[in-house]
Amino acid sequence: MTHIYTSENAIDVLNLTKYYGDLLAVDHINFNIRKAEIFGFLGPNGAGKTTTIHMLTGIIKPTSGSATISGFDVTHNPFKVKGLVGVVPEDSFLYEEMTAWDNILFTAKLHSIPKEKRLRLARELLEYFDLYERRKDRISTFSRGMKRRIMIASALIHEPKILFLDEPTAGLDVQSSRQIRDIIRDLNKNGTTVFLTTHYIEEADQLCNRIAIIKDGKIITIDTPKNLKTITQAKNLIEISFDRTKNIHNDLKMLDHVREVVILENKFRLYLEKPFLPLNFIFDFAKKNQLKILSINTLKPTLEDAFVKLTGLHTKDMAIEKEHIKRD
Amino acid sequence: MVKRFFKDIIKAIYIAEKDLKIYFFKAPNLIFGIFLPVVLYLAYSLGRSVELTFIIPSLVAMAAFFGAGAIQSVSLPLERRTGTFKMLLAAPIKISTLIFGKILAGFFYGIILSLIYFAIMLPFSPLLNFYMFFLGILISSLLFSAFGLLLSVPFRDIPQAMPPATVVRIAMVFICGVFTPLESMPITLQTVAYLLPLTYSVDALHIAMNGPLNIQMFIIDLGVQILYFIVFLIIIIKVLKKIIE
Repeated sequence: MTHIYTSENAIDVLNLTKYYGDLLAVDHINFNIRKAEIFGFLGPNGAGKTTTIHMLTGIIKPTSGSATISGFDVTHNPFKVKGLVGVVPEDSFLYEEMTAWDNILFTAKLHSIPKEKRLRLARELLEYFDLYERRKDRISTFSRGMKRRIMIASALIHEPKILFLDEPTAGLDVQSSRQIRDIIRDLNKNGTTVFLTTHYIEEADQLCNRIAIIKDGKIITIDTPKNLKTITQAKNLIEISFDRTKNIHNDLKMLDHVREVVILENKFRLYLEKPFLPLNFIFDFAKKNQLKILSINTLKPTLEDAFVKLTGLHTKDMAIEKEHIKRD
Repeated sequence: MVKRFFKDIIKAIYIAEKDLKIYFFKAPNLIFGIFLPVVLYLAYSLGRSVELTFIIPSLVAMAAFFGAGAIQSVSLPLERRTGTFKMLLAAPIKISTLIFGKILAGFFYGIILSLIYFAIMLPFSPLLNFYMFFLGILISSLLFSAFGLLLSVPFRDIPQAMPPATVVRIAMVFICGVFTPLESMPITLQTVAYLLPLTYSVDALHIAMNGPLNIQMFIIDLGVQILYFIVFLIIIIKVLKKIIE
């Protein structure tokens, strides 16, 4: 029985839920992703990001709810869905003993791609990812960044319409991360819808058209990075540095309009009570205390601020948590 | 429907080809598969007088048993630990196709090792019926490949999977008439032996090599092995589906 929906969206998710025994991993989430959109899924570890990807790509079945990929239900048409999506997991899930070429071709064979076509596509992809010269080398000799590129190439061998990337730049050096981000942008320009999970807030900010923030299996919010940032605008941050730092902290705290003061090395971050306050009171304070102002910045809210506000979890905690899990 | 069935078979062959290449045809595994049966046999039979006609079918059965099954116990836990199993799940293949592909790898490997033993030892002993003997090797390799996978399916790493699998296998070798004819064993052990699939493999190969050519008994031996294979296959698929979910 074929369940085909006439959705214009690349992905439609309705009340999608997953239980592992008694553990509720994903809790009635709802969202849709437009065609050729880069959609970010942001959240701490154990929030349900990977489980959601596994459900959307037909790897595991949802406990309840539904999801459609280009109109095909993931539960009723998992084979069709698997043909429409490419999956790049967080870790290197390649056969280390096999060459780059054989790894890609093996994936192509499982997608029943005819021999001539799979040879042509494998060549094109390896050339595109700048790894054709290394095609006969075993994966075990590749760097992490190269492995990630081979994984993306494998995920693209059957020309999927939607690409799922789980933490695509986790653990990569700066250059490799930049390369991967460029590849994602490039693929998206060519019409590929991208579903991206990440715990790098900046990455989500740079790449995504829209972002969903998920915590404890529930989606807290979905919006554009720009709109999410406005959530924290009321914070009104000022960073200021003086020619000396001693005995100022408490005086700054006593100022009108200042809610909180945080010391950052040789700077003070002031959290103001109201937005758009004139900064005269700062200059008066400096004059009164015979301080020279070395720098003063009004800070724009970042996506990180929005994330922290919405989840109550600091991004540093996310990174530390991630590293612990990797080490385990 | 038919087209899809053949597509599934081809995908299973691709998985088997990959498994043979990266897990089975490795020098240490080949050495293990070739030497373990003979080492075990020597350890048991040195100082005893054992007929060569009794040794050959037993060794061939052991080659199929260890060849098809032992490496099989490694491949699935290794795939689960390294994550490549998730890549297989992300591809458009059924769990049953994936399992069948893995069983095929052990099946081919078991046949190759059994035939190596058979070819080396044949000049030293008469063979009553080659076709029956070969059929015995085929069914045994298929069964033991599934058995190896069954022993490994609950585990997600090799150190967890190997100890129980090794204990079960070694115990079976001593109980199932590989070293000692069943008739000479106590009744209790004979009863246990008849519950274990290796007994039927050894018996079928003995019939094909030494006779008497009891076709009915031979068919029963093969039938029981096929039945075990089907039961193992169903259990593997069910357990794996449960694990994935």
